[in-house]
Amino acid sequence: MSQDVGDLYCRIKQDKQIRLDAEFTCKAGEVMAVVGPSGGGKSTLLRMIAGLNQPESGEIRYGDMPWFKGAAKVNLTPQQRHLGYVPQHFGLFPNLTALENVVAALDHIPKSERIPRAKEWLERVNLHGLPDRLPANLSGGQRQRVALARALAREPSVLLLDEPFSAVDRETRERLYLELARLKEQLSIPVIMVTHDLNEALLLADNMILISQGKMLQQGIPQEVLTRPRNEAVAKQMGLRNLFDAHVIAQEEERQITWLKFGEHLIASTYFDCLEVGTKVRWVIPNQGIRFNSIKQGRLCRSFNKLDITIDSMLTMGETVRIVASVKGVRHQINAEVPLHLAIKLELAKGVNTTVALKSELIHILEHQ
Amino acid sequence: MKTLKGLIALCVASLLLLSNMSAQAASHDVPAIAAASNIKFALDEIAKQFTKDTGERVRISYGSSGNFVAQIKHGAPFQMFMSADEKYTHQLALSGETVDEGLLYAVGRLAIAAPKSSPLELDPELSGLKSLLKSGQMQRFAIANPDHAPYGERARELLQNMGLWASIEPQLIYGENVSQAAQFVVSGSTQGGIIALSLAIAPQFQKMGHYQALPAELHAPLYQRMVLTKKAGATAKAFYAYLQTETAREVFIEFGFGLPDSSTHIESGN
Amino acid sequence: MDWEALWLSIKLSSVTVLILIPFAILLSRYLAYHHFTGKSWIEALIMVPLVLPPTVIGYYLLVGLGSQSWFGLLLEELLGHQLVFHFSGLVVASILVNIPFAVQPIQRAFEAVPEDVRDAAACCGMSRLKVLFKIELPMVWPGVLTALVLCFSHVLGEFGVVLMMGGNIAGETKTIAISIYDSVQAFDFASAGQMSLVLLVFAVTVLAFTTSLSRRMGAAHVSRRR
Repeated sequence: MSQDVGDLYCRIKQDKQIRLDAEFTCKAGEVMAVVGPSGGGKSTLLRMIAGLNQPESGEIRYGDMPWFKGAAKVNLTPQQRHLGYVPQHFGLFPNLTALENVVAALDHIPKSERIPRAKEWLERVNLHGLPDRLPANLSGGQRQRVALARALAREPSVLLLDEPFSAVDRETRERLYLELARLKEQLSIPVIMVTHDLNEALLLADNMILISQGKMLQQGIPQEVLTRPRNEAVAKQMGLRNLFDAHVIAQEEERQITWLKFGEHLIASTYFDCLEVGTKVRWVIPNQGIRFNSIKQGRLCRSFNKLDITIDSMLTMGETVRIVASVKGVRHQINAEVPLHLAIKLELAKGVNTTVALKSELIHILEHQ
Repeated sequence: MKTLKGLIALCVASLLLLSNMSAQAASHDVPAIAAASNIKFALDEIAKQFTKDTGERVRISYGSSGNFVAQIKHGAPFQMFMSADEKYTHQLALSGETVDEGLLYAVGRLAIAAPKSSPLELDPELSGLKSLLKSGQMQRFAIANPDHAPYGERARELLQNMGLWASIEPQLIYGENVSQAAQFVVSGSTQGGIIALSLAIAPQFQKMGHYQALPAELHAPLYQRMVLTKKAGATAKAFYAYLQTETAREVFIEFGFGLPDSSTHIESGN
Repeated sequence: MDWEALWLSIKLSSVTVLILIPFAILLSRYLAYHHFTGKSWIEALIMVPLVLPPTVIGYYLLVGLGSQSWFGLLLEELLGHQLVFHFSGLVVASILVNIPFAVQPIQRAFEAVPEDVRDAAACCGMSRLKVLFKIELPMVWPGVLTALVLCFSHVLGEFGVVLMMGGNIAGETKTIAISIYDSVQAFDFASAGQMSLVLLVFAVTVLAFTTSLSRRMGAAHVSRRR
């Protein structure tokens, strides 16, 4: 059944049981990540799009075709929606071989074409020479690929992935990222991917929504959501730990600078026009916004936010060192990360006093709550 | 939903399947006859003769009279009912299930019986029973259930008349019908019992126990009546008639029954 | 040796199982996959025959389906004969009594089917019937087999229900268990012993065969998975 490819529009509201409140559009050819903590409702949302759960109210529309319309009592079954779904644990049929698993999704094409088409798809997901294996005899990564092949072979209207990489090991995951990125180029349908891993969203998604406890907190390009979170909840979800209080001291519109008093320091942030002088604000800066080397190397440029810090603790984790430091006059500690080699070079250690620079473009003032 | 429809379809199909079954017996007229369990050995003989003489067959089910009345009232397909007590045929006639009040086919007698190994002495005055009771050796004594088996009722009456009821009641065990009571007697797990003479006199019983007929005056008579139900067909009617012939009556006498118009005495056996 | 009674018993077991198992599969599947208000009540109701004495069930069937009840009269109209004192009545009774024995193992088996597999099947475009035959039954067959064997053996030995509403009519409702009982009452212990032995040997053979079959198939199942 060939279908015109369309955009997926989704608006769901549910008050009882699993609370949900979200509205978004995933365009054709776009990969949208649904990110959030476990139990936040992400998988439920995906299942509703798949037609496996019925929302209390709302609308799900594919192109012009309504898939679910609470008011009009329209609710298409998953079979009718003709989609591709890869469950978290792949859901491969244990009594069928890899090839048969893919064939199972192909009842929309004539019988004679099914096996060749299935074989083709297994090749496309880089699964060679294993068509007659049962799922129990396949590795995690191989199973993932079969599940993907099965979903894609269906020539689906939408591809839905539920935490596709959580059940595989690190090495396989890295490989699969590459393959998905490659596949992405070839797909012209909307792809929705649920994940609790922010990195995956940053790596693979064109767009993302952040869902926590059923509420959609923010929508946008992953990089945007990371650097410009709307509010504290989002910031925390995105893993931003540098969250501080400050006062607006001055506004310079021509230079596009907002001056903040942070403890005893004066720092320049990107211009936020709607703030009045004297307002108390909360601001964030990602770990990458704190630079250790810039001052020593004389590279100041616009980053003229100098901060004197005292290192409280250092934790080496692999190739990076996590630093927690205190800033004079500020209650909250600051979190930063440096590559191990830089930490050694700069002779950073506990108790050391040093100066860091804050990149003003990365300073983001949160919406006033 | 689809599953529910599937379930309903299955139910309908099953009902159709069921309705086609069990047409077996109905096609050929082999009537079902309900008979009190005490006439088993006698009636089996008579039925054999009947088949030899007429070529027709009957299917006999044995049980307690009270039970059969209930079953027939609920639609049991019996074409004839041979009870151990006319009280039951009367009940059935009252409920409109029968063609008439029926006929007396035999008069039943009680016997006291004991397994071969028992210390119980058998005599028509029940003195052996009395002494066993007094000596405290009596543990279990079997009779049919007085609530729905005529022979049980009469056994109770007899024991009450002899003044033994109070002392023996704690030791009584009840058979679901008099056949089961007889089975308890013979099994060796009782010291004895009061059962139908017609059962005690049977050769199969004689192998394992002995008996003593009890005087008919000690209890109300067991007028065993038979009756045709409204379902009776030709073969059932023929069997009904056959039961009144000499051949049949001789068998009844052989098994210790009295006949309504004769007086034959049986005392003891083995 | 009452061959007619033995044959009747085998026929009763077979027909009961033939009707009950497909019904139980659909019911178990529904119960395994759906949650609804009052589900625990329904499940309790299904379990009732396990705790109720068969004679009680026989009694209720006699009263509820006999000629003195409107339902019984209706059935008589539809089928041309009654259910009580008929083979078909025994089938109905056997089915009702054995519902818990059939539903329990099959429902557990369906509950063990991973949700992911069911979801994927639906999203692959397979109709519910196709999913049942192609995916689910190959996964739940051990439960189905258990139910089948359990019910078959159970019906073979049924006594209380048959006694209550069977009427002990030879060729119709005189099952082998009843026949053994009759023989004992007729002091024909030889015959009773013979029939009991046949029943015992038959039951043990069937159980041994199905257990070994299921073990072999289960092992094959497991080794395929390895």
